[in-house]
Amino acid sequence: MENQRVVPMELLQLVYAYVLILLAVALARFRSIGQEKQLLWASFRMVTQLIVVGYLLQLLFAVRSPALVLLMLLAMTGFSLQIAGSRSKVRMPHFYRVMGSSIVVGCGGVTFYFCLLVVGYSPWFDPRYLIPLAGMIIGNAMNGASLAAERLSSEMHDRREEIETAICLGANPRQASESALRAAYCASLIPTMNSMAATGIVALPGMMTGQILSGTEPVTAVRYQIAIICAITGAVAITSFLILLQGYRTYFTDACQLKGR
Amino acid sequence: MVRLHTVGVSRTNQDGKSAQILHEISFSALQGEITVIVGPSGSGKSTLLRLLNRLEEPSEGSILLNGVDIRELDPLAVRRRVAMVLQKPFMFEGTVLFNVQQPFRYRAVPAPDGGSREIARALDLVGLPTKLLQRDARTLSGGEQQRVSLARALISSPQVLLLDEPTSALDRPSSDRFALILRDICRLERLAVLLVTHDLRLAGQCADLLIYLEGGKIIEEGKGAELLSRPCSEAFRRFLAEPKEGEE
Repeated sequence: MENQRVVPMELLQLVYAYVLILLAVALARFRSIGQEKQLLWASFRMVTQLIVVGYLLQLLFAVRSPALVLLMLLAMTGFSLQIAGSRSKVRMPHFYRVMGSSIVVGCGGVTFYFCLLVVGYSPWFDPRYLIPLAGMIIGNAMNGASLAAERLSSEMHDRREEIETAICLGANPRQASESALRAAYCASLIPTMNSMAATGIVALPGMMTGQILSGTEPVTAVRYQIAIICAITGAVAITSFLILLQGYRTYFTDACQLKGR
Repeated sequence: MVRLHTVGVSRTNQDGKSAQILHEISFSALQGEITVIVGPSGSGKSTLLRLLNRLEEPSEGSILLNGVDIRELDPLAVRRRVAMVLQKPFMFEGTVLFNVQQPFRYRAVPAPDGGSREIARALDLVGLPTKLLQRDARTLSGGEQQRVSLARALISSPQVLLLDEPTSALDRPSSDRFALILRDICRLERLAVLLVTHDLRLAGQCADLLIYLEGGKIIEEGKGAELLSRPCSEAFRRFLAEPKEGEE
């Protein structure tokens, strides 16, 4: 298939697209649902963030500095942490330390493995590849990580009786928290597994759609999509695992006592 | 032998104020004897028990297990020597056998032949038939679950047994049977048993040493039946005269 040129998106076309958001706002107002302000604010935030990131990416693509690219990745991780922290209703002790180190090691490890070994572009910091791929990996891992952390908190609270019984019988903290850890790990992987099951049948993934729209052969786009889903699954699994591995310890004292009676 | 020496516990409340839960508690629990601790709700009985297998730490004083401060010992090793049965027996999902075997799974070295000899002995001690082993533990009656949890605690051949309100969910015949079983276990296994209860009937049936705790302090202590029939302090007399939960 011959590569076709992408249809440019002019400002007027964007205004036409934004009409759909205004329609959603109007519907909310008409039915007195009361979400108009939130909807408008969210859309304003989305537009501003995307415009800023668009210019930032253009700058990064032009400068091609490894330090700037790494700084951008660090900022993305920081924002993902801030979003995860603000979303979670019940936070585990030392939330930011546990989440931060797990996201850096889990997502960082998978991103570099994927970029260097799977895609194999050069130079390693090429922002055209590294930033969007890292963004997808961090974004998805953040959702899994939030789920793992939140579920661990609720499981440790709900299973207090079970955990204390195990401790009384001589279990160490890991043995006593085993059921809670298992439940939290499964919960963190559910959205990834669901999206894998639905991919290609219910929904065409964003990256693949974007590549096809920009003229890439569908077969190549599909290959990229398969690879990125593998990377996302690995990142979610590793990040969640690291969170749980560090997280359960924060509920115990050095003398293996469950905190917060 | 377990010896408590001027043990105190203070906690910081949510409003930032410090509250003294236990004050200068000193007594010894001997092998082959049952020490019963009674007292009104909030008197610090359960906290006292939790200190003994290091579910909590004292703020002051020391707890000696055979002459060694338990803070100098590995907490996991302490809990294998000082077994505790909590007020509400928690049954892990699975059969009675799975529940009774649980302490073996927590050990670094598994018991030879799956611990079948120890399991048979523990079931015999608590008077549970072996045919129950394959039953789903969560379908057992309250009394049976209490005995499974007692058997589970005895599996590791502890030196000290801590029981927190073990008969609170049992009817009178089951509670009487529990008292008999407990006395037998204590004598046969030469265990130092510490029992916290509201049930004065159970206290009378079991106590070699009876301790009356109020406001985190020992108000009175003495030989079980003797102290119950002739209390010295006004506080203990008042406590004995109060109608208790579940009493007719």
